[in-house]
Order: sequence, then structure tokens, then C-alpha cells
Amino acid sequence: MIVGLLLATGGFGAGVFGSLLGLGGGVLIVPLLTVGFGLPFREAVGVSLVCVIVTSSAAAGVFLERHLANLRLGMVLEVFTATGALLGGLVAFLLPERVLAGLFAALLGYTAFTMVQRSRQGAAPVSGPSADDAGAVEPGVPSGPGEGPGAATAPTGQTLADQIAGPGYRPHRLPFGAVGSLGAGIVSALLGVGGGIVKVPLMHLVMGVPLKVATATSNMMIGVTAAASAIVYLLRGGIDPYVAGPTAVGVFVGAMVGSRVASRIDVRLLRILFVGVMAVTAVQMAVRALG
Amino acid sequence: MMDEPMTTPRDARADAAGVERQVARLLVLGTRLAVGLLAIGTALLLSAGISPLATDWPPLHLSSLLRDVVALRPEGFLWLGMIFTIATPLFRVVGSTLGFAAAGERRMVVLGIAVLVVITLAVFAGLLGG
Repeated sequence: MIVGLLLATGGFGAGVFGSLLGLGGGVLIVPLLTVGFGLPFREAVGVSLVCVIVTSSAAAGVFLERHLANLRLGMVLEVFTATGALLGGLVAFLLPERVLAGLFAALLGYTAFTMVQRSRQGAAPVSGPSADDAGAVEPGVPSGPGEGPGAATAPTGQTLADQIAGPGYRPHRLPFGAVGSLGAGIVSALLGVGGGIVKVPLMHLVMGVPLKVATATSNMMIGVTAAASAIVYLLRGGIDPYVAGPTAVGVFVGAMVGSRVASRIDVRLLRILFVGVMAVTAVQMAVRALG
Repeated sequence: MMDEPMTTPRDARADAAGVERQVARLLVLGTRLAVGLLAIGTALLLSAGISPLATDWPPLHLSSLLRDVVALRPEGFLWLGMIFTIATPLFRVVGSTLGFAAAGERRMVVLGIAVLVVITLAVFAGLLGG
């Protein structure tokens, strides 16, 4: 009884934090289950994948209703995140985890450093999706009130970049986005995270999507990404329903709380939180890589 | 002179907003259903005195799933809830694809189908590896 309640409580905390940062909570759930409850890493990954789907689905509904998530951009990148998750699920037992952990730690450290640099330069501290620097308005892109990110017009003749544009921004460097999304899917399948820790900086820093939109869109995409690998884990007997049940219920409640307050949180605070989470996760990965 | 129906930007925006609303509703409903099943399963698990960490978990058998639910066995609700959990974002892709098809956005329809093809491959990969 107590263990079940502890699992639910841990899931609640992971749900709140993951929903606010577009992480899906897996970054917290895997250490919680392995370190806190002594689960084998692979079992923790399986449970975590179920939990991040719950987080994503719960928050994505709210984000879409509020027009914070860019549905079209998400669908474009999901092709690559899902493919990466499938590949990651297939090679999960072939690649040395220490190599991946080391690479991941380096990536997180670099991304955190880059985001801190940009904040110091004052390039992107303005709150609100349409006021973010990375999403400077380009000619021909709709930016009027009432147009959600996914509500951009799509008449014949528009390029894909035009079609996935939102109010005040137009995603660019789509090939980089595709490759990065493939990597995010692989990371998701191997480590049991939603991949938001890769996708949010990718969309924000590389593709020029405002941070709030990137966070919301990443959160929406996590469900499909994690589902692709969760199916592999589920059918191979890698998910414990007795652990997944209470943890996922806790995550759901936490995600609902987090998504309700997300739109009221200043993007600067969100950025500081995100950098902090990346730094902590980088240290965790480095420790794992070193043995 | 023009046989093809014209879609104005205002129509496209309205269609897209409609798709987003429907998809959001689908996600909320699917998640509530999935978590409801998981919550019932968790309550049954705890009331049965089963410690989540001290017991080997029962394997997933689709053939006995409904029987387990009717018999109020925790594993029936937990497995069913997990299946709904995994299926919910996939329902979102299906719903979005149908919505974009209705709005005449072929490019988005192709992308939606591509995602579903990858998911189908994941099912085969899981079955072959299991």
C-alpha cells in the first residue's frame, strides 16, 4: 500500500515539473524508479515511457485548446521522432549505454551553455510566444490576433515552412529539425525520456520557434514519440503494470496541475528552470558515462 | 471556369482551428479514460494487498483481457489502461489526419499517414522481438 502511494506521489512531482518544461517527466521518473525504488534500468524505462505519454496527452489537450502548440509543426517533426524511437527501440540492447550517456551529457551541457549565453546577450528574454526574438515576423506570415500556431493558412502553392508558420514566427532550417528530431526519438527510446530535452532547444534555438510554442509543441509530440517505443517495450514484456499504474496516475494529476499554470509563467523563469534541469541531467549522464 | 472549390484563408483558419479543437477533445477524453482505468486498476491492486515491487507482474494476454476486467482483477484494468494510454496519441494522429483531409491539406495528410506507418512498423518490431 505504502509503496503504491509513494510511486503515485513521485509520479505527481514528475508530472508537474515535466508539464511545465515540456520534458514529459521521464528525466525524473527513470532516476526515481532506479535510484528510489531499485528497479532495473530497462523496467524503469518501460514504465517511464507510459508515464511520459500520459503527461504529453494530458498537457497537449490543454495546449491545443489554448493554441499554444503548433499542430502542423508537430506532425512534421513526429515523422522523424517516431522513426527515431522505433530505431532506438530496436538498438536499445546493442549500443553501450555509457557512450550514449556521455554524448547526451555533452549535448545537454552545450545546449544549456548556449541558452544562458543568449539570455545574457538579451536576445530573447521577452515573454510571450509572439514576442520571442527567435520568432521575428517575416513578410507574408499571418500574425493577427486569434490565429493560433496551428491555424496558419494553407492555400495551394505555399511551402511547408509557410504552412507550419505561426503568428509572429516562421520555422526555418527544417532539415536540421528533421535530423535533430530523429536523434530525439532515439534518445527517448533508449533512456525512457520524452525527448523534449532535445526537441525544445532544437525548435527554439535552431528552428526559431518561440520557447513557449516549442515547449507546448514538444509536449504534444512526446506522446507519439514515446508510443512508438512503448509499443516495442510492451510487446516484448518490458513494462510492469503494477508499477506503471500508480506512477502514471500520479503523473496525470501532476501534469494537469502543471499545464494549468504553464501559460501564466514568465518565459524567463521557464528558461532558467530549463537550463537548471539540463545541467542536473547532464551531471547524471556524465556520472553514468564515467562508470 | 473554375471547377475546383476555393478555400479562402479565413476558411482554412476556421478548418484548422476546428481540427485543433477536435484533437484537443480527443486527447482529453482518451487520457481521462486511460487514467480512469489505471486508477481503478491501482485501487484494486492496493486493496488486494499486492505490493507493486514485490510481485512478478502478469503478462499481457489480449485474449483474457476482458475476462480479467469483468472479474475485477487489477491486471485487467492496468493492461487495458496502458493500451488506451499508448493508443491516445495515435488517435490524435488519426484525428488530425482526418481533419486535415477534410480541410483539403494533402501535405499534412501524407505526414499523418507516414507517422501511422512508422507506428505499424513498431508493432511488427515488437511482435517479432517478443
